[in-house]
Amino acid sequence: MSAPRLLIANRGEIAVRIIRACRDLGVSPVAVYSEADRGSLHVRLADHAVAIGPPPARESYLVPEKLIAAARKTGATLVHPGFGFLSENAAFAQAVVDAGLTWVGPRPFSISAMGSKTESRQRMLAAGVPVVPGMTTPAASAAEIAAFGRENGFPLLLKAAAGGGGKGMRVVNAESEVAEAFARTQSEAKSYFADDRVYAELFVEHPRHIEVQILGDATGKVLAIGERECSLQRRHQKVMEECPSAAVSPELRAKMEAVAVAAGKAVDYVSAGTVEFLLAKDGRFFFLEMNTRIQVEHPVTEMVYGVDLVAEMIRIALGQPMSLVEKPALRGHAIECRVYAEDPGRAFAPSPGRITALRWPGGPGIRVDAGLTAGDVVPLDYDPMVAKITAWGVDRDEARRRMLRALAETRIQGIQTSVPFFVSLLHDPRVEKNDISTQFLDTYKYEPPAPEEGLRDLALSAAVLEALEQTKSVRPQTKGAVPAPWRTVRPTHGVR
Amino acid sequence: MRYHARFPGAAPGGVALRVEALPPSYEIETEGRVLAGNARRLGDGVWSLVTAEGRQAEVRIERTADGGMRVRIGAVTFEFDLLDELTARALLATGGRAVRRAKHVAAAMPGRVLRVLVAAGDAVTAGQPLVVLEAMKMENEVKSPQDGVISGIAVAAGQPVNAGEVLVRFAADPA
Repeated sequence: MSAPRLLIANRGEIAVRIIRACRDLGVSPVAVYSEADRGSLHVRLADHAVAIGPPPARESYLVPEKLIAAARKTGATLVHPGFGFLSENAAFAQAVVDAGLTWVGPRPFSISAMGSKTESRQRMLAAGVPVVPGMTTPAASAAEIAAFGRENGFPLLLKAAAGGGGKGMRVVNAESEVAEAFARTQSEAKSYFADDRVYAELFVEHPRHIEVQILGDATGKVLAIGERECSLQRRHQKVMEECPSAAVSPELRAKMEAVAVAAGKAVDYVSAGTVEFLLAKDGRFFFLEMNTRIQVEHPVTEMVYGVDLVAEMIRIALGQPMSLVEKPALRGHAIECRVYAEDPGRAFAPSPGRITALRWPGGPGIRVDAGLTAGDVVPLDYDPMVAKITAWGVDRDEARRRMLRALAETRIQGIQTSVPFFVSLLHDPRVEKNDISTQFLDTYKYEPPAPEEGLRDLALSAAVLEALEQTKSVRPQTKGAVPAPWRTVRPTHGVR
Repeated sequence: MRYHARFPGAAPGGVALRVEALPPSYEIETEGRVLAGNARRLGDGVWSLVTAEGRQAEVRIERTADGGMRVRIGAVTFEFDLLDELTARALLATGGRAVRRAKHVAAAMPGRVLRVLVAAGDAVTAGQPLVVLEAMKMENEVKSPQDGVISGIAVAAGQPVNAGEVLVRFAADPA
């Protein structure tokens, strides 16, 4: 019998990650690609690949019919959605099942139950899971939100009911801001999720974002596998995660894990999922939402607990029980940095383009999940996260030092990335002491890593030598002639 | 061969650098000192330098959008203009002003124009947002590099733009 085929309805680094799990299990990976991704790593690593349309995601990676047709064409029987795109789209999961294929993820019912934030809150309340005070139905008007704020206090957080990934959220500090914030959140919700329903909840100040990994299988078993510290977020998007959280004691961990298992069981959860909590300074925690898919930051859990969550997802989808009898023992500490194609020196402006040279770090405790290689182009059409670097150590301090080592080894040329940002961040005394909250990066001022003594001389020397080299290649010197001056092209768009 | 490195905000003349010996054994005279060592070019814009004192560094050099040098060593980035002698002299003669003034603002990356925030005739200040571009799922404000008066808008909301495409033009410097 030939190996079962699994279609990956995604791209980039998560597609590569899923391909690796397929290989480890003897499953044959099938890639899909838009025109922008024909040469991408995930295509090159797959056994089969199917073109699904032009670069815009809404014409390729977000079209259920094309993905299902690609599975049919290649004989794939399993579909793994990765994260983002259609991963939390219950209608797509149902369409996959209706096509006679196997969805590598939770049941469509679990996705829809958790996909609507208002519905998931009601379910969690019923299951005894603590939630932040919030509206139980989407707001019909700004006045309704203002009334909620008067009753529960400000600040409030406005959220898109169908939202996720940090899109369509806005903090409202006072009643006077409600009308404008409501209109803007509605319009964002409409453009990102084609659903303009918005609701409000109490905004817990200076909380931590702690999430618990769960894994369920068809036998009804649901395990919680520790927590992740995800408080470092910029524009509501996580940038660096850790496992475990230095703010979570073994007692608190046990409590959060028990609640996460209850949350999972309340929706008959199968496969890998994440229950997100806000942890208040006083140790209370509130259910935030459940992500019914694999998370970007799953590698920190994998390194600390010695599990392969993506392989478990596939195993469970194939109808097997999970390979874990019980929760594995916690060992050491892991930190993940998300490498974004953004320029930290220019207010994190996107920096798409061709990678002209690339070197990933290696050595003890380092794991790299990357979706690209040298020569690849980072397309403008998709999320700017291009890779994740994860460092494991026996304790947090060793993991931190290993991460700094890994970042120093990393060389990505041709585009700007968030790597220098992480070097500064990991040197911040508050980050070193883990004195952080989800608001930490709102006020954190990025200062580029300071040059040590002598570095400027090296920079000047190399720049001059490179300028000479370019003079040589542009205009070959004739014997006895004055060397052609290498001219800097004068400003085309202003002074830096 | 002489060069002048001009760091942002520094005096117009910059740091003078004179190449005395070429790689692999380079010597560069600057500020009364000699920077010397062994240099190997590992690829386009990638050098390994081993100084006479034995210090090693892998140095990566790129051009910025406006022709400057972006030099990276590890996580540290230096940005400066590297001028040949003629350009440096011309710059000194004008007090560094005329050549440094932008005539327009161009898109630093490909994207789509979401909103145009200024109109022809508007007086703007340095740092003022001019245009909002959408790229990689993010909104990005394109800010004015200088104080000045807008003479024309080259794009409209909804329009896709390429990197380097002019967005907004400045009126000639009144000074």
